[in-house]
Amino acid sequence: MLFNSYTFIVFFIVILILHNLRFAWKVKKINLLIASYIFYAAWNPPFVLLLWLSTTVDFFVGRALYREDNKRKRKWLLVISLIGNLGMLSFFKYGGFLLDNFVTLVNALGVNYHPANPGIILPAGISFYTFTTLCYTIDMYKKESEPVKSILDFSLFVTFFPHLVAGPIVRPNQLVPQFATPKKATGQQLLNGLFLLSLGLFMKVVMADTFLAGPADTVFTAHNNLLPLDAWMGVLAFSGQIFFDFAGYSTCAIGVAMCLGFTLPQNFRFPYAASGFSDFWRRWHMTLSAWLRDYLYIPLGGNRKGSARTYVNLMLTMLLGGLWHGASWTFVVWGALHGTYLCVERWIEQIRNKGQLHTSIYIPAEGKKVARASMVPSFFTSIITNRFIKMLFVFFFVTIAWVFFRSANFTTAWHLLSSMFGRVNNGAALLPTLDIIKVSVITIALVGTHWLMRQSSIADLIKKLNWKLLGIIWAAMIILLVLSQKSSDSFIYFQF
Amino acid sequence: MHTKNLLKAGILGLVLVTTFILGWEGYWRSKGYVATYNDDKVLWANKRHEVYRAKEKATVFIGSSRIKFDLDIPTWESMTGEKAVQLALVGTSPRLLLEDLANDKNFNGKLVMDITEVLFFSNAPFVNKSSSEAIGFYHKQTPSEKFSSLVDFALESKLAFLEESRFSLSALQGDIPMQNRPGVYVFPSFPKSFSWTSYDRQTYMPDIFLSDTNDIKRVTGVWAMLGSDPTPAVDGNALTEIFKEVRTNIDKIRSRGGKVILTRTPSSGPFAMGEEKKYPKDKYWNQLLAYTQTDGIHYFDNPVTKVLTCPEWSHLAPKDAVTYTKQLVMSLEQKGWFSGEGLTQNTLTN
Repeated sequence: MLFNSYTFIVFFIVILILHNLRFAWKVKKINLLIASYIFYAAWNPPFVLLLWLSTTVDFFVGRALYREDNKRKRKWLLVISLIGNLGMLSFFKYGGFLLDNFVTLVNALGVNYHPANPGIILPAGISFYTFTTLCYTIDMYKKESEPVKSILDFSLFVTFFPHLVAGPIVRPNQLVPQFATPKKATGQQLLNGLFLLSLGLFMKVVMADTFLAGPADTVFTAHNNLLPLDAWMGVLAFSGQIFFDFAGYSTCAIGVAMCLGFTLPQNFRFPYAASGFSDFWRRWHMTLSAWLRDYLYIPLGGNRKGSARTYVNLMLTMLLGGLWHGASWTFVVWGALHGTYLCVERWIEQIRNKGQLHTSIYIPAEGKKVARASMVPSFFTSIITNRFIKMLFVFFFVTIAWVFFRSANFTTAWHLLSSMFGRVNNGAALLPTLDIIKVSVITIALVGTHWLMRQSSIADLIKKLNWKLLGIIWAAMIILLVLSQKSSDSFIYFQF
Repeated sequence: MHTKNLLKAGILGLVLVTTFILGWEGYWRSKGYVATYNDDKVLWANKRHEVYRAKEKATVFIGSSRIKFDLDIPTWESMTGEKAVQLALVGTSPRLLLEDLANDKNFNGKLVMDITEVLFFSNAPFVNKSSSEAIGFYHKQTPSEKFSSLVDFALESKLAFLEESRFSLSALQGDIPMQNRPGVYVFPSFPKSFSWTSYDRQTYMPDIFLSDTNDIKRVTGVWAMLGSDPTPAVDGNALTEIFKEVRTNIDKIRSRGGKVILTRTPSSGPFAMGEEKKYPKDKYWNQLLAYTQTDGIHYFDNPVTKVLTCPEWSHLAPKDAVTYTKQLVMSLEQKGWFSGEGLTQNTLTN
């Protein structure tokens, strides 16, 4: 079920009513669990079975892992869970990809092998709930937290509909304790939740689908070379679209949970205001970044095994992060680009730290300030300006990486990059003037808003705003939402 | 923000939204617009479910926009007592729709396929865009989407501003006059008043369109632009391949006991002349019938439909659609289309 559908509106009203009736807390949790299964089944009913399988296996394996002291048995239990979860993910998400690569390989070796298309359908959100259950099992293996006592709470943790299909990726300690005591939204939570739901839908339906999807699709599906202006506009449109689409979903999810009295972790913090690539990943899809850090980068050794190994670990984490987004080599390249950005950033940081250490031996702090001020105008030395330039620099490289994320294949990506940097002859004008104006205005507004809000949050903004202004903004968002009508589609991240 | 202030903001927002919706709806109603349905893949999928009705209780129609305007469904249903399942799609070749029905083993009913040569005999990807989207949507429609469509239909039946192609934010953006750079192609938009669609997918031109000569000129301008396309008509092997493909699909339906007939609905003025010049009746229509061994009803062969005039050269006005439908029913009756006792004389002269 999509948040941007009439079905969801009806569903959510029913759930809100049921959740506010005087039922016992256990009954309310059962209601939420059934609702979550309906939410999932409304997309493709048979895939609920996968969800049940994943939940049941991980509940019992997790408990056994925690209780078992025999190291060998514990490893076996962990392997069972990993095979169960990653096996399902591999089959449904990577089955076709692996087969394609295998066929390409054997054909290159001269073997004439052309199997039928396996026609595997990707269950919605499998990457998200697999990561949710995996982190529980790994935590149990490490005995980092206690197992969830009831299968009802565990099932609800895995299946809770606001986060089920596209995150935020929740950890057991973030959600399970909230099921322990009765939860009902306060008036403030309900209103904040409804505002966030409106904002999330506005971001998705109006900004991503109505304003930006068209120019992005036009440019990314163009078959001919383009003028640099058109190529850049298409790529910038996608930079905006992917943010509004995914951050919009997360905002809806957080708002919906809040209306029911639950708190989900923040997933985006104005990422295009990032002043570095590591800062970007602390602001973009924060729950995935944290998951990759805790369950992949650190277990690989993180930065504890020397400089060279740190770079290898960073690259591996980002390559797998790229592959998590989609079963295609273009996603791997997208991950590799971000891995490279992070490595280069780390290398520069190390050089700079060494340099600072070196100069600090000879030049007193005051002297350094005087020396710097005398060499360049103060405008450039201002921390804010410096940070602003860094932000634009990061946005530029993140945008370049999106080319691989969105392109259907390397040929398209290469054509587009060539067009963007004027490396083609006979580039064609493609986008109407209105699209160019829309993308330019929205991109400037988006980056500007992120810059201004970089140390703040939506919650802070709501608190600060005058109620009349907030009411007008709220109404404007809903009016544009109503006017956008059905010009909307699935969330991009559903395919992941 | 204090809860009280947040509540006040919420109430203010609600008041503003309600005021806007009422004002917006009232504004378009005052301009003569009424509640109609979005002629999209959702409504198409809703009707696609109806092709499994018994053969003697329904006829399925596929084609491009002309049959949607020219078949008056109330007239058809009152004369024949049969349901008209309208599956034609605007700006689309019906060949993909024919293939979908031919490959559906559960379909063994009666099918009328209307031919608009410029779309039917084209292999350009755009002529299959809407049909492939609609077919894909129908076959993959989720329970959630089905439920949403029911809510949507209920709302569309009451609110005029929910007509997406006229009043959505995307459509309104298209109304902004803006000069494009040389080489940028934007398909010209049709007037808002041009085509209205009912729940059974009949499309019609309302009086506010028919009484506005500027709007009619805008539409004929679009046809003139499309008619000036220098691409030569399909010929030779490519044409034979199309004939073969159509024959194969028609045979599949016939092999299950289904019936298929082809129609050619009227066009007028310079557009009709251009069509005849590019796609001569003998070479395309007659050959198609011969190759597929299928019966056909061409408007030009009937003295009544031959003189019908399309106000904007390509589609009939509602009153002429009634005339055309009556003639179509009579022609079909003569060809034994309606099983059993046939239609009464009273019905035919209705």
